[in-house]
Amino acid sequence: MTLTQVARKDFEDAVRSKMVWGIIAIFVGFMAFVLLAAVGTSDTSDATGDIALGLTAQLSQLFVPLIALIVGYMAIVGERRSGSLRVLLSYPHSRRDVVFGKLAGRSAVIALALGVGSVGSILLASVLLAAPDLMAVAGLLASIVLFGVGFTGIGVGISAAVHTRGKAMAAAIGSLLVFLLMWDAAAAGLYAIITGSLPGLEVEAWYFLLKRLNPISSYLALAEASVDGRLTPFFQMGLEEIPADATEEQLKLSNRVDGSLPLYLTDWFAGVNLAAWGVFPAILGYLRFERSDI
Amino acid sequence: MAAIRTDGLTKRYSGGFFGADVTAVDTLDLEVAEGEVYGFLGPNGAGKSTTIDMLLDYARPTDGTAELLGHDVQQEPEAVSERVGVLPEGYGLYNRLTGRRNLEHALEWQSAADDIDQLLERVGLDADDARRPVGDYSKGMTQRLALAMALVGDPELLILDEPSSGLDPNGIRRLREIVREEADSGTTVFFSSHVLGQVEAVCDRVGILNDGQLVAVDTVDGLREAAGASSTLELTMGQPPSPDLVTHEAVTDIEVRGNRLRVTPTDSRIKARIVSDLVARGHEVIDVGSESASLEDIFAAYTDDAGVANRTETPSGDETPIQTVGS
Repeated sequence: MTLTQVARKDFEDAVRSKMVWGIIAIFVGFMAFVLLAAVGTSDTSDATGDIALGLTAQLSQLFVPLIALIVGYMAIVGERRSGSLRVLLSYPHSRRDVVFGKLAGRSAVIALALGVGSVGSILLASVLLAAPDLMAVAGLLASIVLFGVGFTGIGVGISAAVHTRGKAMAAAIGSLLVFLLMWDAAAAGLYAIITGSLPGLEVEAWYFLLKRLNPISSYLALAEASVDGRLTPFFQMGLEEIPADATEEQLKLSNRVDGSLPLYLTDWFAGVNLAAWGVFPAILGYLRFERSDI
Repeated sequence: MAAIRTDGLTKRYSGGFFGADVTAVDTLDLEVAEGEVYGFLGPNGAGKSTTIDMLLDYARPTDGTAELLGHDVQQEPEAVSERVGVLPEGYGLYNRLTGRRNLEHALEWQSAADDIDQLLERVGLDADDARRPVGDYSKGMTQRLALAMALVGDPELLILDEPSSGLDPNGIRRLREIVREEADSGTTVFFSSHVLGQVEAVCDRVGILNDGQLVAVDTVDGLREAAGASSTLELTMGQPPSPDLVTHEAVTDIEVRGNRLRVTPTDSRIKARIVSDLVARGHEVIDVGSESASLEDIFAAYTDDAGVANRTETPSGDETPIQTVGS
C-alpha cells in the first residue's frame, strides 16, 4: 500500500520540519493573547472558563482555515516545483497515491496541531480564568479538528490542481475570502432572486442549507453545540432584513424556519459537510492532477 | 520484447490564443532492444526530455503510445516503476533529509533490500557525506546520489536523462563504469545526452533526435564515420596562405583567416595527406590542429542531403549503412 507510505513520509517530514510545532506555538500564542485581552477588559468576577471556550470557538473560525490552508496549499505543488514529485513518481506510487497520501498526511498534521493547540489554549484559559466543562471542551475540540481537516482538503485540492506556488497561494487566499466574505452574500442574493425579497427573520429552510454548505457555517453550528451563546460569523454583510429588536430567542435557527428542523440543518449534517470538504476538493484536484504534465 | 517501444509518440504544446503550436516530439517510433545500451542524442531543445517525460508518464502524449518492458506506461505505471530505474531531468531530492535517508526511502518504496553502503560506494559518495543533509550537497554529489537512487532494486531498465550533467571527469568515468556493469548484467540502459563524447564510449546504438524527430539511428561506428566527414583541420602557416593552397578534391570547405587555414575534408583520413602534401611542396606549417565534429555538424551530416551525398562520394570502401528513420 503505497498511499500509506506517502502519508507517513509526509507526516514525518512535517514533524521534522517543525511545521507542526510552529502551528501549535502560533495557535496557543494567539489564543493566549486574546485570553489576556479578554481578562483585562471584562469584569473578571463573572469571567468563567465558558467564556474562554466561546472565545476560542469564535476566533477559530478565522484562524483554523488560515492554518489549514497554509499546511495544505504547498503539499503537492511544493514537491512539483522542487522536482521531488518526479522522484516520488519514479517509484511504484501512482498519482492517486500521491494526492490522497498527501491528504491523509496533512490531515493528520492539522489534526495533531489543532488538537494539541486547542488543548493548550483551553488549559491556559483554565489557569487564567476557570476550568470549563470537560464535555464542552471535547465537543469544541472535535469541531475544531474537523473544521481543520475540511480546510486541509481544500488546500490539498488546490495544491494538486495548479502548477505554481503563486497560483496555489492565490487560490488559497481566494477560497478563504469566498468562504469568509462572499458565501453568505451569495446565498442571500440567490434567495432574493428566487423569492423576490431578501431573507427576513423567517425564511425558507433551504436558504439555511445554502449557508450551511459553507464549511465555516458548518463549523459554527457544530461548535455552538459546545459553547454558551450564539457564535456569529466574523463578517456580516447585513443582507438579512432582521429587525434590530429581535431577541436571541427569535434568532435561533429553529425559530426562523417553519416546523421542525430538517435533517440538513442538524449538527450531524454539519459534521458530514466538513468531512466532505475534507475529501471532495482533493478529488477534484486529483482529477486535474491526473491529466496534467508533471 | 523490446525494452522501450514508442509508436507515433507525439507531444504538441498549445501556443495559446496568439502563439503557434509547438511540436516538441513528432510521431516518434523508437525501439530499444533488451540488454542494449542506447544513447539518445540531440541538441538542447530537440525534445529528448519531453520524450523521456512521456516514457516515464510525467507528461501525457498528444498522440501515440509508449511501452516500457511490454507495459503501456499510461495503463500500468506502477508495473513499469517497479522494474525501471530513473534519473529524470529536473528532479529534486529531499533536501532536509540526509543522503542515506533519501536512499532508505528509495529502498522502502521500491521494496528492495540493497546494501546502502555498497550503493554509495558504487556511485562514489563517501559515508560521511551520506550523513549530511542533501541540501548541503554540490550538484555533482546530488547527481551521484540520484544515480544511486535509480540503481535501487536492480532495475531491468535504466532511463537516465543527461546523467553526466554536474559530474566532474571522475564522476563521468564512474558513470561510464556503472553503465557498463549494468549492461554486462543484462540491464538495458537508455540515456540522453547532448555531448557526443559521452555516448561514443559506452553505447551500442545511438538515436539522434532533432526538432522532435528521430533523424537517424546508427551504431557508434557509423556515427564516428559521419563525424569524420565533417571534422576540420586547422593549420597555422608560416606565411598568410591563399585558399587555393589545398588542392585536394575531397575537401568541402576552405577558410583563410590571417595565418590560419581551416580545411573541412569529407573524410578525416585525408587530413594527414593534406598536411604532408603541404610540407612536401615546401610550405611552412607551424602548427596543426584538428577539431572533431560538433554534434551540430553530425546533424548536418545526417539531415542535410548534401552532407550525406558527400559521404557516399568518399573513397573509403567500408561504409556503414545509415538507417534513417522517420521523414
